[in-house]
Amino acid sequence: MTTITIHINEKEYQVAPGKTILEVCRENDIEILTMCHLKGIMDVGACRLCLVEIEGVNRLLSACTTKVGANMIIRTDTERIKRYQRITTELFFAERNHVCSVCVANGKCELQQLGYKVGLDHIRYPFLYPQCEVDSSHPWYVMDHNRCIMCTRCVRVCNEVEGAHNWDVMNRGYQVRVISDFNTPWGESITCTSCGKCLHACPTGAIWPKAIVQGQLNKKPEIIEELMEKRAMKL
Amino acid sequence: MNRQELTNLRSLAIDKQQKYKHKICVCCGASCISSGAEAVLKKMQDEIKARGMDQEVEVIPTGCMGPCNQGPLVKHMPDNTIYQKITEENIAQIIQSQLIDKKPIEDILLFADSREKPFVNANEDPFFKKQLKIALKDCGELNPESIDDYLVHDGYQALSKVLFQQSPEEVIAEIKQSRLRGRGGAGYPTGLKWETVYKHVNDHKYVICNGDEGDPGAFMDRSVLEGNPHRVLEGMTIAGYAVGANKGYAYIRGEYPLAIKRFELAIKQARKLGVLGDHILGTDFNFDVEVRIGAGAFVCGEETALIASIEGKRGTPKPRPPFPAESGLWGKPTLINNVETMASIVPIINLGGEWYSDIGTPKSAGTKVFALAGKINYSGLIEVPMGTTLRQIVYEIGGGIQGDAPFKAAQTGGPSGGCIPAAHLDVRMDYEALVNLGSIMGSGGLIIMDDSSDMVDVARFFMEFCMDESCGKCVPCRVGTKMMHDLLQKICDNKANSNDLQRLEELAIYVKETSLCGLGGSAPNPLLSTLRHFREEYDQRISKPVVNSY
Amino acid sequence: MQKKKIATVWLGGCSGCHMSLLDIDERILDLVKLADIVKCPIVDGKELPEVDITLVEGSVTSDEHEREILHIRKQSKFVVALGDCAVMTNVTGMRNYFHLQDVIDTAYVNAISNDREGQLPDHPALLRLNDKVVPLQEVIKVDFVIPGCPPSADVIFYVLNEFLNDRVPDLSDVKKLRYG
Repeated sequence: MTTITIHINEKEYQVAPGKTILEVCRENDIEILTMCHLKGIMDVGACRLCLVEIEGVNRLLSACTTKVGANMIIRTDTERIKRYQRITTELFFAERNHVCSVCVANGKCELQQLGYKVGLDHIRYPFLYPQCEVDSSHPWYVMDHNRCIMCTRCVRVCNEVEGAHNWDVMNRGYQVRVISDFNTPWGESITCTSCGKCLHACPTGAIWPKAIVQGQLNKKPEIIEELMEKRAMKL
Repeated sequence: MNRQELTNLRSLAIDKQQKYKHKICVCCGASCISSGAEAVLKKMQDEIKARGMDQEVEVIPTGCMGPCNQGPLVKHMPDNTIYQKITEENIAQIIQSQLIDKKPIEDILLFADSREKPFVNANEDPFFKKQLKIALKDCGELNPESIDDYLVHDGYQALSKVLFQQSPEEVIAEIKQSRLRGRGGAGYPTGLKWETVYKHVNDHKYVICNGDEGDPGAFMDRSVLEGNPHRVLEGMTIAGYAVGANKGYAYIRGEYPLAIKRFELAIKQARKLGVLGDHILGTDFNFDVEVRIGAGAFVCGEETALIASIEGKRGTPKPRPPFPAESGLWGKPTLINNVETMASIVPIINLGGEWYSDIGTPKSAGTKVFALAGKINYSGLIEVPMGTTLRQIVYEIGGGIQGDAPFKAAQTGGPSGGCIPAAHLDVRMDYEALVNLGSIMGSGGLIIMDDSSDMVDVARFFMEFCMDESCGKCVPCRVGTKMMHDLLQKICDNKANSNDLQRLEELAIYVKETSLCGLGGSAPNPLLSTLRHFREEYDQRISKPVVNSY
Repeated sequence: MQKKKIATVWLGGCSGCHMSLLDIDERILDLVKLADIVKCPIVDGKELPEVDITLVEGSVTSDEHEREILHIRKQSKFVVALGDCAVMTNVTGMRNYFHLQDVIDTAYVNAISNDREGQLPDHPALLRLNDKVVPLQEVIKVDFVIPGCPPSADVIFYVLNEFLNDRVPDLSDVKKLRYG
């Protein structure tokens, strides 16, 4: 198999062409923070946490969507990238109403983990406190928009893995919302199969089963990847 | 239809026009229509007919003539005399005086109310004299709804030339030689873009003409589409031939119903004539164009979002690479050019790349269309060679600031651009010079401000626009523009402290560098450029002491 | 070495942070060797004298809190925001998504426990609620923050111990940093 040479953080690596920078970094234990990335579904490069510096490119590129090229010189750990990761995390917290102490995902939340990783002890920007709905019309599940970070992992899982396309996105700018069907209550959805994959794909406590209480959520986002791998084997 | 038949048809059309002794052009650009041009046109046609003069006088609606705030405009050809602010009452007088007595009517001549001595031949007026019309040439002189009229103005000669005399490589070489750069804003070399798409081998390739002009105050693409739709169509067809595409899409925003109507009519006429569709002019080249109507999202002017919109998806951008030239519409190599770029193709083919590259500055060749607006005496649509100074545009073409107030700033590039202060009035307008001043060329919006303008409020206005128009996909743009807007509002309300200003600057750089697409990437520009050139206006409003620096 | 002075204050919070402070148990004996606790809701103390460190629990919700926090800032060399409410408003801030009047009506007039006879409290001695709840850093300069709901006793002890020994604590370690 042919390999190409790349440099990440001043270390040389021999990698297979066609892989994304994120894949290569994860294989080699180089930490890259992500939020909208989930193995098993398409990458969209929306959270901007995985931005890396590439020599000769004047923009920061998202590691999840950029493929490695021969002799690429990549940096993932500069002060600038760390500073931007912190701001992104702060904006996540300030955008909607994240109240960890009353959240089902408390202690198991990817957003909390992200905050710890970037060393976020407080948020320097004013909180927006938007009015968000809690849709509990589905018999088993709840969608709490207060905790949604618009990573759209649920949208993609529903569309690409389950094939139901119950979830989609409406509105623009800071008013975007994930919607069920054409913005009707989730319980009335004619496309939702109640498969529950969106629950596992969700990084925060935005989608959760009704049977649990604060801090009890136990998500398994890795099942999406397992599912896709098993399907690929059957082919 | 083959090449010979096209030539014959053209001769016929020319003969037909030469029968007329006079041609009355009534400007039916958007601005003139809004001030009553359609009624003027109808009255003029009726009156000419009633007087039995319709054998010697041709009355046509045309696209935008330029001096938009003087409309409705009526132009007499061949004298090139333009009358301004025409109502139905003036019609009889114009016919009597201009056509029969051959005497121009002094008090309704163009700029009669502001110039001491208005010009009978409008081309001698500084407003036109300092301009060089290439993309806008013929716009304002031909009937956009008549393909015959387009043929008279050398229509489809360029297409015929490339199909029979040039290989795709030669066409691309010609465009490269012209040094034409994308007029949509970023200024990417057009020839290089064409070549990249050409080199990607694929059974299906696409050409897209981006007519989703969304900057507040910009109406260049609209005027070209409304005034000379065939020119754009011909440009697209030539592009299709050069890059090897058989299908084109014209993405026009839904707010331009007249542009859509005229462009669709042009497509129909061109298909009928055989210059569009299968076996164009009897050759093996097939190319067809479809209009796609934008649904009002500013972000759909961004090429990847535009492609998603054409595919029927939510119009949100995708990270690049891969670039559309490699993987665009439906994953196929796709060429996207702006309307004005497409309108510049035909003259380059007709007159040669070398001719075009001699116009303008060393790095930016050719001409640029600007939509001149704001506190200026003569606002409207102008086209000047690259490298014309801002002072020339404001004071010579635009006739200076209203009420002789001092010039304060010129806003270029709309919500993605910035403000140029009076100290830089002598800047030679080209891509690089504007970037050096913290602004961008953009699609060509040019808003002139006098000393009554509040620059913090200008920044807040454009930030509000970007905040509302952000697609909401990536975090920096979605939340960052909202945060910046709120902080700017706080400064406007005199409630901010210096810590807020510091947060604002930090956010601006962050949003600029981390956003997914050009909308977010350029959204902080108006803020950053006003901070750079008008910082004192911000400082004046920061009253409260710092409460928090942690 | 002169003993330092510590104060703790309880603004818009649930007192959970102070409970956590009590949970440092016998380690408080180590602290009082280095400092005197001069004001605390749990002990008595009417006025806030000039102090070295003030731990502030809760967010700023009213005119009274605003006055108090400005006074605290003036009297303290070092202000520490203690707990999620002080740092990011947390549960206290959940009323920010609604209009203040709706919140007051819900609590005092329409609540089921009021038997439909509820009245709005209106006495000049009572504090007036602000429209929006804000964290401390929106009103004053905060010197250090300890997030958590509540912050663990270990972290509170660690931070106080570091300060009292003239060291700067560092929470960036994932194990010490916690929200919720």
